[in-house]
This record gives sequence, structure tokens and C-alpha cells, in this order.
Amino acid sequence: MTFKRIPRVGIGGPVGSGKTMLIEQFVPLLSQIGYRVAIISNDVVSKEDADRMRRNLASERGLMPESLVIGLATGGCPHTAVREDPSMNLSVVEDIESAHNEELDLIIIESGGDNITTTFSPALADYFIYIIDVSGGDKYPRKRGLGIENCDLLVINKIDLAPYVGADLKAMERDAKLIRKDKPFVFVNCKTGKGIKEVADNIVKNVLFELPPKKNEKKTEKMT
Amino acid sequence: MSTRFSNKIDVIDNNMKHHHAHDPTTCEDPLIDEVSMLQLGDSFFPTGMYTTSSGLETLFYDKRIKTKQEIIEFITVCLQYQIGPADCAALSNAYDFAKEQNISKIIEIDHILFSMKLIKEIREASIRSGRQLLNCLLSFVPDNNLIASYYTSIKNKTANGTYPVALALASNSLNIKKERACLILLYGFTVSVTGAALRLGMLQHFEGQQVIHELKPIMGNVLNNNITRHYSQLWQFSPSVDLVQMTHERMDSKMFIT
Repeated sequence: MTFKRIPRVGIGGPVGSGKTMLIEQFVPLLSQIGYRVAIISNDVVSKEDADRMRRNLASERGLMPESLVIGLATGGCPHTAVREDPSMNLSVVEDIESAHNEELDLIIIESGGDNITTTFSPALADYFIYIIDVSGGDKYPRKRGLGIENCDLLVINKIDLAPYVGADLKAMERDAKLIRKDKPFVFVNCKTGKGIKEVADNIVKNVLFELPPKKNEKKTEKMT
Repeated sequence: MSTRFSNKIDVIDNNMKHHHAHDPTTCEDPLIDEVSMLQLGDSFFPTGMYTTSSGLETLFYDKRIKTKQEIIEFITVCLQYQIGPADCAALSNAYDFAKEQNISKIIEIDHILFSMKLIKEIREASIRSGRQLLNCLLSFVPDNNLIASYYTSIKNKTANGTYPVALALASNSLNIKKERACLILLYGFTVSVTGAALRLGMLQHFEGQQVIHELKPIMGNVLNNNITRHYSQLWQFSPSVDLVQMTHERMDSKMFIT
């Protein structure tokens, strides 16, 4: 029995760049439209990110079932788990697809924090978001790296910290345009939600192709 | 490169020119079978085995294993009391039934082995690796009816896809001899735990190769002791290792799947 492929977004980036918080910010926007998502979180040393997203998005806000936030240990090789040998991720994706094909619109795969050469295997992810933050230095876009150069959407996070760490946002913008040519990038602040709608809009347009949700029931957040 | 092998490549090139496509698995050249063995036995082959430590991570954090010799002893226990009499013997039997195209017996062995894997994460890792092995294999050996039938049974949830059984079918399809298929299994397990020790910082890179070298005779003995074991006589008994693996399964912070 074969199942229709559920669209998949891969999210990679260095440790602490804001991958988990980015997901926590855009998933509620997708849920407001009615899209149902599952999250696979690859982690380097713990399942802390998966536990946090499960608590925040599922248990407390009721935006998804707890069982659809899955943590995966990567044997200390997060880039291998999403690029060279994505077997374990693919297996979890297949399990999700077989059990939730009728209602699920999107699978998000978060890579463990890694270096700027991280990319996703096209067999695993249809769309690749790479996130960096300004506190790593405004040199990041200029330094290239496969992730920064090749991703479908480059997200530059923590823009509020720029004046405190001496990062020049104009230089980052100029370098991102130069390196990525016509491919998009967006400045965000995951703490305040600034720029997040643009990320969600990109996913709706380029991954979900603006199709309506499979089950058109808008998820409303639990009252806390 | 041997002359014979380079000649074979010339033949393959010519075949490709004349037939547009060529299936190396239909060549009756033992060298190709040997290369197939290297391919399935290589950690580059995508089965996700690098994500497991078989409980070594717990022993490391608890400081119960510190030396190279203790790592060798841990792997030896796993090979002799878990992998050998269960996985290796299951592979051997499944391989024989693959030769007979007996899918029902292959599935029976798959169920027996699945039921013997007491640790949930190890059970799940085995079937994930098995399924991904078959998935990958079908991309370059697409016309093997037995594998297609087993894969369909997995999809229909009437089979599990345990790694040793999947490896038996894959090896048979690539003309890899049974003994060598068993060695792929034993070697792959040894390398996955040694690799975990390396990444945990318990070994440096030369020591990792020394561990593998010192375990070669153990792999040979385990192979000889289990390759003729009938599937009704599969066993595994390593309660201390089981407890370590159960403890690891429940660890909040860890690098590896158990």
C-alpha cells in the first residue's frame, strides 16, 4: 500500500539560531488557516526541543496531538541524519504518512544544530529553510556555506540584538542578495514574532501551493 | 584493479553501449558479488545504524566502562549473547528460505526475531534499518519478486522488516554468499558500537580500528556457532545488557537511539 507524499519542510541552522522557536512561531499561523502539521525534531544530545514543542504547541495550546511531535536522537551526527543517511527520518515520515495521510497537510523536520554546510536530502525535505542569527556575526551570509547559499528560504533571526553585538543588518542584506541572487531571505525576531508571517506565507505559497487544508477545521488555541 | 575486473568493466561499458542499460546483478562474476558485499557492509550504505550505541552511552555516563578492553568485552557479550544466536541465526535461516523463495517462512522468522527484541528502541531501530535497506535496494534491484513480496507484507503490516531478515533477502538478491551476509551483520554491529565509542570520546580513531581488529576472531566464532542454528533454536540471553539498554532507553538526554 502506498501513501501520497505529505509535503515536508526541513529546517536547519547552527545551535541556538532559533530553529525551535521559529517552528513555535509559524505553526500557530498555519493552524489558524486550518493546516495540520506534524513535527520531527532531530537533536544532538537530548529530546529537549521536541519536549518543549510538544508542551508548548500540543499540551498547552492544543494545536496538534502530542503524538505528532516526535524527537529523534541522531547519534551525534545531525547533518548525516538529514543529508547523507536520512533513513531514520524517512522511516518516521513513512509511519506518519501511513497513519495520518487523510488529515495531515505538512511535516516539519527540524535538524539538530549544526554548521553552515548543513543541507537536507531532497528525498527527505521538499523545501529547506536555513536559519542564522545576527549574534553569530554579520559575516554569516558572506561566508556562504551550502545551507546559506542553497536553502529555499534564508531566515536571519534575533535582529533586535544587532546593535548590541555590532552586527550591520544592511551588510547582511547586501551579502544575502549577492550570495543568494533571486532566492528569498527574511529578517525575523522570533521573540516578538516580527517577520514570522512572511515565513508562514512562503510555506503556504511554495510548499502547500495555497491549497485548502485537507480537513477544513480551523484549530483554535486552548484558553490558558 | 585486476585485469579480470577491468576487462569486466570494459564488457559492462560495451553492454551499456549496445543495450542502453545494464544490470550488474545479472553478471556471473564473483568480483561483482564481492563489491556488492562491500556496498552493503559499508557504513555509507544508508540504514541509519550510526544512530545506535546498543546501550554503551549509559555505561559511559555511569562510568562503568572506561577502557578499550572494556569496550571490546561489551561488544563481545552483545555479539555472543544477542546478535549471534538471534540476529545472525535468523539471517542464516531467512537466507536459506530466500533461496527457496519461501516467503511464508521468511515472514515467520521475521516475527520470531521481532518478538525476541525486548527493548522497544532496539526493536524499532531494527525494523527501521531493515525497511530502509529494502527501500534503497529496490531503487537499484527493482525486479526481485521475493523482496517486492516481503516489502508489500511490511506495508500491509503482516511482516515487520527486521534488519537481519531484510539483509538476508538483499544479500541473496546480490549473490552475496550466506557466510558473508552474516559477516556484514556482525561487522556492521561492531562498527556501529565502536563508532558510538569514538563519538562519545571513549576511543581515539586508531583505537577504534584496533577494537575492530581484535574482535575479528570473535566475529568468526560467532558466525561458526550460529550459521547452522535452526530457526526454532533462536535465543538471546544477556539480562545485564538488557537492563543497561532499558536504562538508556529512558535517558532524557542522549546522543543515541538505544
